[in-house]
Amino acid sequence: MLETPYVTRYLTEHFGEPDFPTLKGYERFGGYRAARKALTEMSPEEVIELVKTAGLQGRGGAGFPAGMKWSFMPKDSDRPKYLVCNADESEPGSFKDRILLERGAHQMLEGILIAAWATGATTTFIYIRGEYAYPADQVERAIAEAYAKRYLGDNIMGTGFRHDVRVTRGAGAYICGEETGLLESLEGKKGQPRKKPPFPAQYGAFGMPTTVNNVETFSHVPHIVDKGANWFRSFGTEKSPGTTIFGVSGHVVRPGLYELPLGTPLSEIVFEHAGGVPGGRKVKGVIPGGMSMPILPAGQLDVPMANEFLRERKTMLGTGGIMVMDETTCMVRVASVISYFFRDESCGQCTQCREGTGWMNKIVERIERGAAEEEDIEVLGDVAGKMEAKTICAFADAAAWPIQGLLRHFRDDFVEHVRQRKCPFAGSFEL
Amino acid sequence: MPKFTVDGREIEAAEGRTILQALDDAGLLMNGVDIPHYCWHPKLAVDGSCRLCQVEVEGVPKLQIACDTPVRDVMVVHTQNDRVKAAREGVMELLLVNHPLDCPICDQAGECKLQDYAYDYGVRASRSKEPRRALKKNVDLGPTIVFDQERCILCRRCVRFCREIPKTGELSVFNRGDRSVIETFPGTSLDNDYSMNVADICPVGALTTRDFRFKIRVWFLEDVPGICTGCSNGCNIYLGVANNKVYRYVPRRNDAVNDTWICDAGRMSYREIAAPDRLRECEVRDEAGRLDPVGLDRAIEVAAGRLRRLIDSKGPGVIAGLASAHASNEDLFTFRRFLAALGSETCGVAVVRGKADDLLIKEEKAPNAEGAREIGFGDARAVVDRIRSGAVDAVIVLGHDALQEGLLGSEQALAGLDTVILLDTHASELQRVAHVIVPVRHAAEKLGSFVNAARRVQRAVPAVESGWETFADGEVIARLGAALGLEGFDGSYDVHSVARELAATHAAFAGIDLDTIGDAGRPLAESARPRTER
Repeated sequence: MLETPYVTRYLTEHFGEPDFPTLKGYERFGGYRAARKALTEMSPEEVIELVKTAGLQGRGGAGFPAGMKWSFMPKDSDRPKYLVCNADESEPGSFKDRILLERGAHQMLEGILIAAWATGATTTFIYIRGEYAYPADQVERAIAEAYAKRYLGDNIMGTGFRHDVRVTRGAGAYICGEETGLLESLEGKKGQPRKKPPFPAQYGAFGMPTTVNNVETFSHVPHIVDKGANWFRSFGTEKSPGTTIFGVSGHVVRPGLYELPLGTPLSEIVFEHAGGVPGGRKVKGVIPGGMSMPILPAGQLDVPMANEFLRERKTMLGTGGIMVMDETTCMVRVASVISYFFRDESCGQCTQCREGTGWMNKIVERIERGAAEEEDIEVLGDVAGKMEAKTICAFADAAAWPIQGLLRHFRDDFVEHVRQRKCPFAGSFEL
Repeated sequence: MPKFTVDGREIEAAEGRTILQALDDAGLLMNGVDIPHYCWHPKLAVDGSCRLCQVEVEGVPKLQIACDTPVRDVMVVHTQNDRVKAAREGVMELLLVNHPLDCPICDQAGECKLQDYAYDYGVRASRSKEPRRALKKNVDLGPTIVFDQERCILCRRCVRFCREIPKTGELSVFNRGDRSVIETFPGTSLDNDYSMNVADICPVGALTTRDFRFKIRVWFLEDVPGICTGCSNGCNIYLGVANNKVYRYVPRRNDAVNDTWICDAGRMSYREIAAPDRLRECEVRDEAGRLDPVGLDRAIEVAAGRLRRLIDSKGPGVIAGLASAHASNEDLFTFRRFLAALGSETCGVAVVRGKADDLLIKEEKAPNAEGAREIGFGDARAVVDRIRSGAVDAVIVLGHDALQEGLLGSEQALAGLDTVILLDTHASELQRVAHVIVPVRHAAEKLGSFVNAARRVQRAVPAVESGWETFADGEVIARLGAALGLEGFDGSYDVHSVARELAATHAAFAGIDLDTIGDAGRPLAESARPRTER
């Protein structure tokens, strides 16, 4: 039995077919039809316009409109232009790109080819996290197949267009998923985000104009070209069209992947699709979009999973990694794990992030040990506030937001640790 | 040229400059407009990581870092409102979370930007109860620099300096997050010709020079503007002076000369001033061939007597002058005038040569070779050739540059002369052949001007007094001239009037006055003198 999402739509529809990862299998289901259409029937401008009309938002966490991003690439440049496929899926709670790489490498490559045509890029660098050895192997195999059939390389599909794709494997740093940290790492340097401007579209990989998109973002593109913007907009909400793959983990009956339209209520995903919390226990809180997104308490799970609604609840869709925690969970323990992670992964360039992540982690661990006072809870919230929106990249925000979310909704857990001078949740999860 | 407004003040900026650069260009940064900063340095690439220089730009929702935000026309910037102040306090508090606060034993105390900004922009009490990072306090980075990892605030100026200025790149940040530390790459050390600049640009006490650390509290030091005499670049420096002693040279910014840097050799040349081999007494050689200590009057009398005897017997043509490129324009002009009044045609300047680079270090290892040539001193080799040919009986030597450069083949070239009169700062083999020796002042001990390799006239002011009786070379020459009854010499010596006369008689020096030249110097006028190949 192949690993497939529990609920599928167009992206993952054929992931259960054993030969789908192969070029032959992919073409059996219409693969590369969209690329042929784009390269032979559409101008690059038309492709960009189509993706803009479809309203495809980046699926890597920030949700930036993909067509708009492509249009930032300089038109009349004699410098080579590059695409980068961000396959560094390192957000804790996220595991959607893995299956897209393992089972849908050709779908992603076709999206890359169409994006290359649209932007005039000569080369795509696929940066895959080092831990994804099998997915990287699958992508390399698919690339070889595509070259063999002239879907990559010289004179693609007889159009004279040339495009090359290369795979780079990462070495395990979370920050290399940040697009400019990724670019540094791709160039063989320490993965430290670059200050912006210049943005990658002006000065990206190896100093050349570059667009960075997530694996899933590329994977949607062939479907948009094949079936049109209106079809794409038939999924999801007006502002957030299309489906996405939610990865549900934690205290649920059926943890796994669910391809659902954007805007699907969080409660529907948790209770109906994932089967709710096992053992009749209650949900305590849910992180909606990977560990860097602020948590939502049980009472707010009615929210549709699209940024326009999640923002009203002071959180975001992120990567769609949904982490469910039941009533036995100690939220201080959660804060401790999260703050340790961000302390460990901060690149250390910016003062607020380098010092703030460490300070937060030390305070939280002291609260967890029962060695803190109530004023320390104030300081914790204040440090998180000092880190927000003031650094080179969004890492400091990603470190501050979940702590702010936990304090916003589960302050009582923190206060109880202080009052009882110990953790009141005996038997809360251990790592 | 974009115009922008900072705290209500309109400022014009050059195209493409960032807010901090534009303020620095206008001379307003920390001098009218206070935007504290750590990682930004005017002569290094923008890093943008310390995040202290955040300001509010109207119309932009997030605070922007002034170091990396380009000035746009009609941009309105606020540097002092509550939002900016809160952000600054936030950065300061975070920087101090792991700082050891060991100011009482830290050499940087008193000139520490962490101290200064904590007072000006920080929160008085720390709210952190957490243990601070415990790191190495005494890391040997190389022959010149000692590193305290705990004090480091990771601004990475030193890392960028090594990559961008000497382009040696010895330093890097290792590890990440709050475990980040600056280190040299394994098996290497911080060892380049400019290494000690990292201590100057380190805003805190993390990087200190092995030479200066633990010597004196910096608040006892007076910073006297001066010129490094190590080579003909004439790098601008501050001499750190206390108790009539120079404790250090640090670079003084002059964008036309040395930016904000000096080389290590130049920096260490302060030790010449109080070196144990400084000449301290006038001496004259007696009939038995021994040197006897005398006063200046007696030394002048003996020197004049010897020269007078030669002039009377053989004429002034047998007297030669060997000048030093360490002497000031005023000394050299007086010497040149003396030789002219005497009727001697044989004079030249000796210049020690050594290695050069394309940054600051120049081939000519003296501060005033260009000035000497401008004033009329030719190459000392011609003088030495005449001495060797036997056409010279007496030589007046300023300094021992000719000896050092090997022109004299140890001191032998002068050994058989009737009269050798030596004016020098330091001991040398020339003492063995000199008949009259007069100790003279180092550049740090007198007022004078020097012309650097780029033909810029720069001034040195007295920073210290030698603890014994010394004289400017010009003063000794002036008195010798009077003792010989030369025209235009009455025995008095006023450096200001000498400088004025130099300006009046040499077109290149026109308009240059010791009082008005300022600490930054000014270019010499183009001269008609044919440029010599060097």
